[in-house]
Amino acid sequence: MKTIISRILRAFFPALAVFALLLAACGPSPEATGPAGEPEATQAEPGEERQTGGTLRVAFQSLVQTDPALISSDAEVLVANAVYDYLVDVDPVTNEPTPRLAAGWDISDDGTSYLFSLVEGATFHDGSPVTAADVVWTFDRLRNPDSGYATVSLYENIVSVEAASENEVNFTLSSPNPFFLYDLSDNHALIIKDGTTDASDFNGSGPFVVETYSPEDRIVLVANENYFVEGQPALDHVEIIFFAEEGAMVDALRGGQVDLVMRMSTPLFESLQDVEGIETTFASTNGFDLIRLRSDREPGNDPRIIQAMKLATDREAILELVQQGYGSVGNDSPIGPLYTNYHDPAVQPPARDVEAARALLAEAGYPDGIDLTLHTPNTGGRPDLAAVLQSQWAEAGINLELSVEPEEVYYGDDGWLEVDLGITGWGSRPYPQFYLDTMLVTGAVWNESHFSDQEFDALAATAGGSLDEAERADAYAQIQALLADRGPVIIPYYFPVFGAISDLFTGFQLEAFPGRTDLHTIRLK
Amino acid sequence: MASAATADVTKQSAAPGWGQRFFSLARTLLRRPSHALGTLISLLFLVIAIIGPLLAPYGANEQIVADARDGPSAAHWFGVDTLGRDVYSRVLLGTRDIFTLAGIGTLLAVLIGTSLGLLSGYRGGWFDELLMRFFDSVLALPALLLALLLLGTLGPSRQSVLFVIVIVYIPIVARVVRSVVLSVKTRSYIEAARVQGESSARILFREILPAVLPALAVEAALRFSYAIFLASSLGFLGVGVQPPSPEWGLMVNEARDAVSQTPWALYFPAAAISLLVISVNLLADGLKHVFQMDGER
Repeated sequence: MKTIISRILRAFFPALAVFALLLAACGPSPEATGPAGEPEATQAEPGEERQTGGTLRVAFQSLVQTDPALISSDAEVLVANAVYDYLVDVDPVTNEPTPRLAAGWDISDDGTSYLFSLVEGATFHDGSPVTAADVVWTFDRLRNPDSGYATVSLYENIVSVEAASENEVNFTLSSPNPFFLYDLSDNHALIIKDGTTDASDFNGSGPFVVETYSPEDRIVLVANENYFVEGQPALDHVEIIFFAEEGAMVDALRGGQVDLVMRMSTPLFESLQDVEGIETTFASTNGFDLIRLRSDREPGNDPRIIQAMKLATDREAILELVQQGYGSVGNDSPIGPLYTNYHDPAVQPPARDVEAARALLAEAGYPDGIDLTLHTPNTGGRPDLAAVLQSQWAEAGINLELSVEPEEVYYGDDGWLEVDLGITGWGSRPYPQFYLDTMLVTGAVWNESHFSDQEFDALAATAGGSLDEAERADAYAQIQALLADRGPVIIPYYFPVFGAISDLFTGFQLEAFPGRTDLHTIRLK
Repeated sequence: MASAATADVTKQSAAPGWGQRFFSLARTLLRRPSHALGTLISLLFLVIAIIGPLLAPYGANEQIVADARDGPSAAHWFGVDTLGRDVYSRVLLGTRDIFTLAGIGTLLAVLIGTSLGLLSGYRGGWFDELLMRFFDSVLALPALLLALLLLGTLGPSRQSVLFVIVIVYIPIVARVVRSVVLSVKTRSYIEAARVQGESSARILFREILPAVLPALAVEAALRFSYAIFLASSLGFLGVGVQPPSPEWGLMVNEARDAVSQTPWALYFPAAAISLLVISVNLLADGLKHVFQMDGER
């Protein structure tokens, strides 16, 4: 109720009050600056022993899960990444696997055996050292078929995880997996202590230690003095303060109540440009919103329908309107430009041609146009995308009725896998095979378009199993061409993620998945 | 004394000369500047609701990519929103939406509420008691909360909003009508009609209803203004009319995130809501005044 009232006040009150002013001068509304509450002196706290210090206040959504095996939201992953360590991390700039708790690794020639050595001096927050047994325990937990964890199918390919010595772990795979290091860096694969009974106890080995956690209010982290990386973390304290709404987070940043906001809509990001004391940044990602048509029944089982939709779509206009030009135009394949080794810029879906789209529809038996319902979650840019599509497709005789649904309705009871025409958001992943295996191969768990194409399945298998980089790249190129031509999805853009931080800090490197952003590299200027 | 006179005058209204009477009422309504203004602006919105599509330079969902996020100008009087839609056209076209929703909703609520109020007040007894206690329990919930509860079960759509407006306002209309019926039904001319052996239906609709009409007209106008507010509130909260409809409340909601970028996309529909609600309120106030004057004459 509180949010409803504040929403009403936020929109209606200023609307009425400022209307008279606006009639006189229809310029942008005056922006409130200056802190609303009493100034907080935490930022200026000088570090005494270390050359570091300071408190960073981060605005984020509140946590629901704190057990590393169950986390999913950005906020949950952000906290986990600060409190625990991954065995292997992914470099935000090069997108290459990098060591974290693993000091290094050896891969057998046949690609089925991985030997990791652990870093020296890593300890859990309770003081006990991190050993090979902890890694074994963690991964056995994550791949335990009875657990029901999301990681079970991801790690199906693992035959065994064994301690080769006190600080060496050996992973054996049933078949080669060129992306296994990325799999080990899955959001859930945080190393917890052997024999942990309550995995939400925050007993990690990570750069920060949990001081207090007040659900739905905030979580306070203090620097782990014993962290195994020299000079990290740079900050003394991190407070993650929970907000329900992006708008409120951005207002708090403007008012000086928080220092860092990750994730916000494009208009909110735009509103922070040129605000004194705030630095904005954005990261390209491989995340996208896709429009997909069920291909296993009428009307989508006629490939001419999806081809007509592709022809009716103006991707540049969509990027300009929905994303305000941020991000990049999509080519109907989930293998975006971020995957520099695999993305093929030469593959382009057909250019917009409304007449050709009409002709295809007529050929397919819809000379007077076709009526369809487009289902979409009400989050992010998706409702806007739906509105733009409705107007673009209408010109070609594809008449859409929009059904804008709360996420829990759209995804609830697997309704999104049932509907004929829908918009689904897919987050960024460090490697492309994930999308093919979960979204597009025959019988995949989230094959929302019910796509089944033998040629595609064979290419996806090659790409996901071959250890030959050239062969993989070739398979991905063919997949992109195939999808642009007859794939069941339209991917109009790859969206960026936005962040903004107080200019008192430096070392902030926003990740494509914002929750994986490292807090331990941020420091006071 | 005044209400007895009202009853007499209204009885005459069925007789010839109603046109003259209408003009005399209208003249009273337009005498005060505030009432006149409210009436004129309300009528203006009504005209826009009817001929809006002829006036709007662009379609409600027509996207002018090149002009997206432009401020008010000669080409786009109210500016352009983030999706490249002309805000002036959307406000014009949204007028019909709000008039049909709030108008039909009010009309149905008044029809059903009046019937129930007449019956309840005239029959009295257990029927009256039961209905009124039920309405009390409905009215105990704030209108917006009740609307949210109903929409939570019905799911958001235009029909649901219409249904909610009707359900929320029936009890209020019924109570107003009932209170007038209670004060009228003991009057001697009603007694006379009953003694003459007239049927209940005839007494209700020919004798009592005319006496209720002035209060009803005022109430209907008030309900209409609240219905506008309710429909746009629901649109704003995202549970009413769904995108991409140019419903004003929904437009305000959609423009909220981008308020520093495209403030015009928020302020113009918000202003349209306030302007319409205020003018309909002034009209209702005027109507009340007119019927009072009429009664005292």
